[in-house]
Amino acid sequence: MTAATAPSFDRGRAIEFGASAAIHVALLAGLSLVLLTPPKPPPPPAPMDVTIADDVGLVATAPQNVTPPAQSRAPELGKPEDAAPAAPEPEPAPAKPAPAPKTAEPAPPKPRPAPVPPPKPTAVAKPQPQKPAPAAAPKPQPAKPQARPAPSGALAGIVGRSGAGTKSGAANRTPRGSSLGGVMSGLGATPNNSRSTTPKGATMSAAAAMDIGQKIKQQVQPCANRQTNPGPGAERIRVTIRLRINRDGTLAARPTIEGHDGVDGDNARYQRQVDDRAIATFMGCQPLRGLPAELYDVPNGWSNFLLRYKLPG
Amino acid sequence: MTLRLPLIALAALLAPVAHAQTQPAPTPTPTPGGLVVDVEGGISAPMGIAIPPMPTPEVVATAAGPTDALGRQLAEVITGDLKNSGLFKPLASGQLLTVPFAEATAPNYGGWSAAGATALVQGYVRANGNGTLTVGCYLYDTAQQRELARQGYVLPFGEWRRAAHKCADMVYTRLTGEGPYFDSRVVYVSETGPKGKRVKRLALMDQDGFNGRFLTNGQTIVLTPTLSRDQRRIAYLSYLDKKPTIYVYDIASGRQTKLVTDVSLAFAPRFSPDGRWILFSMAQNGNTDLYRIPAGGGQWQRLTTSPGIDTGGSYSPDGSRIVFESDRSGAQQLYVMNADGSNQQRISFGNGRYATPAWSPRGDLIAFTKIGGGFHVGIMSPSGGGEKILTDGWQDEAPSWAPNGRVIMFFRSTEGGSGVADLWSVDLTGVNERRLPTPFDGSDPSWGPIRAD
Repeated sequence: MTAATAPSFDRGRAIEFGASAAIHVALLAGLSLVLLTPPKPPPPPAPMDVTIADDVGLVATAPQNVTPPAQSRAPELGKPEDAAPAAPEPEPAPAKPAPAPKTAEPAPPKPRPAPVPPPKPTAVAKPQPQKPAPAAAPKPQPAKPQARPAPSGALAGIVGRSGAGTKSGAANRTPRGSSLGGVMSGLGATPNNSRSTTPKGATMSAAAAMDIGQKIKQQVQPCANRQTNPGPGAERIRVTIRLRINRDGTLAARPTIEGHDGVDGDNARYQRQVDDRAIATFMGCQPLRGLPAELYDVPNGWSNFLLRYKLPG
Repeated sequence: MTLRLPLIALAALLAPVAHAQTQPAPTPTPTPGGLVVDVEGGISAPMGIAIPPMPTPEVVATAAGPTDALGRQLAEVITGDLKNSGLFKPLASGQLLTVPFAEATAPNYGGWSAAGATALVQGYVRANGNGTLTVGCYLYDTAQQRELARQGYVLPFGEWRRAAHKCADMVYTRLTGEGPYFDSRVVYVSETGPKGKRVKRLALMDQDGFNGRFLTNGQTIVLTPTLSRDQRRIAYLSYLDKKPTIYVYDIASGRQTKLVTDVSLAFAPRFSPDGRWILFSMAQNGNTDLYRIPAGGGQWQRLTTSPGIDTGGSYSPDGSRIVFESDRSGAQQLYVMNADGSNQQRISFGNGRYATPAWSPRGDLIAFTKIGGGFHVGIMSPSGGGEKILTDGWQDEAPSWAPNGRVIMFFRSTEGGSGVADLWSVDLTGVNERRLPTPFDGSDPSWGPIRAD
């Protein structure tokens, strides 16, 4: 007994120590990671531009974007100049400020405490510039051209960050100087259509999503009701398909099967048939009509959504 | 405790980071917060389908008739198969559009969809110079406007019906998810003559009741035929020589061989799935037990020894187990045992008696005749659960499974003194009862597997 217990104690302790050590190390690593990845946090502050329609559903949110390394490139491409970029472009600056106030209002809903979280104060400035870069390309803003040259993007990219950060304290303006053109574009305008990778400030509210979901459901329900049950047990299968929709409500691509629930040994033979019926449910009742155009390709908009279908029972 | 707290804190710290990193990734499927629409709907009803006559590129007279007539007949046979399954509702011939040869592979989706067809079966038939037909079979989805499946068959003129059955099987399997069963045959006992003097002949037919032929001349009574998996042999009970025992009929040669000799009574034969054994019952010294014997003849082996009558054995599809009926408890009940006779366990416990069990080719169910307030065909799981009675006739008995395990054939005797029996089929769900169009009365059906090519 004793022999057995003793070791167990030791072992227990060893495990505890080991665990705590590991955890601390992990904690350190985690924290350091967080610190090292300043770019991520910054995003939050940027919430701005959004134009949103207060009415339904768009809500300004902090851009979720995170690390935009790309920006640096943009600048370089432009003209490698000195960092000097102080405030070459006044124009952009104004734009941003304006949005900021607005954001305040909408922002509340999405309290991503983002603003606070950023461990690095400087970060604030950075995030904005970064984001813009990607967005910039798509949106041709007058300001851009100018911006790029001045920016000395390269610098900004690497070094710039820090520099920008410092400046940021004052105002966004300076920072923009560099790649800002892009920034502006991205942030600026209203919710755009670019489905570019980066998130936009606007997104669909839960209420709007529910409303759209209801409209789609109403429209395809008659076709769902026509689907025939292939055999006993098929009603336990729920299939999820992804639908990509054109602006006019027609299907933009062949639906894809995203997954299944409820498949077991007895009904697996019907899985493909339930897939067929889910697709037929949509195909038979498209194109979709009467959905809000402004919520077409905002994030989570109806340009691309999931339909989950099952037979009754 | 102290250990756990940091863990949680760490998790909380790391989680958002990890999340942020994954987000930018290229469109993960389960978009959190993305629009998801849930729809539930459907009906238990036959699917609308169109099977227009199959065009031919050139009308040629064949031994089976001109090819344009064959094109119509092919469509009719396919239509019959699908309709008889109970899972399809073919458009009436008056609703069918005419399909030009060029359209066989380029369907008029809009027209068919408007006509009410969810699915469309088209094809063509062509006579080849060497006495064969080529039949093309195409399945289309009119909603998705795309081809779902296609097959082509080349066969002798005289076997054109098989092309239709194979086409119907392709359509059925693709649209229902079930296995095929139309291209299969059934052996049964054909009955003619007055009640007191019935003539019972061994008969073989296509699953839809066509192409029937008699294998024996009716001079001796035959009962309980069963088709081997390779479809070359039929084992059955014959009263030849006044001593009822088991014979094997070779379909190709037409020769009958006595399998079990020198016994007073042997009956209820069933092939093992691999075709090597025949399971049967035999009365010895007043006790009836289950035995097995090599399908080619030889020494039998006894599998059960309990007092009482053990009979009606049927193998599981993998050949590892046997279900049978026994009255050892005082009344007929179903039991399952290993193929060597070990581990016998009773599985039926409902009111009434249970007889003539048949193990589904799928392995998941056992069909039986329930006796009590009449004879009814029912199903239960091999462990005895989920009992369900499928038919409600005056006297329904002797179920036999379709090769896909979805349909059951049995025979139904009419009420009263006439004693007329006919072959019927019913879907596993208990719907779509239907009488087979045999030329005469019939009993003891045994449904064979899908035919080999």
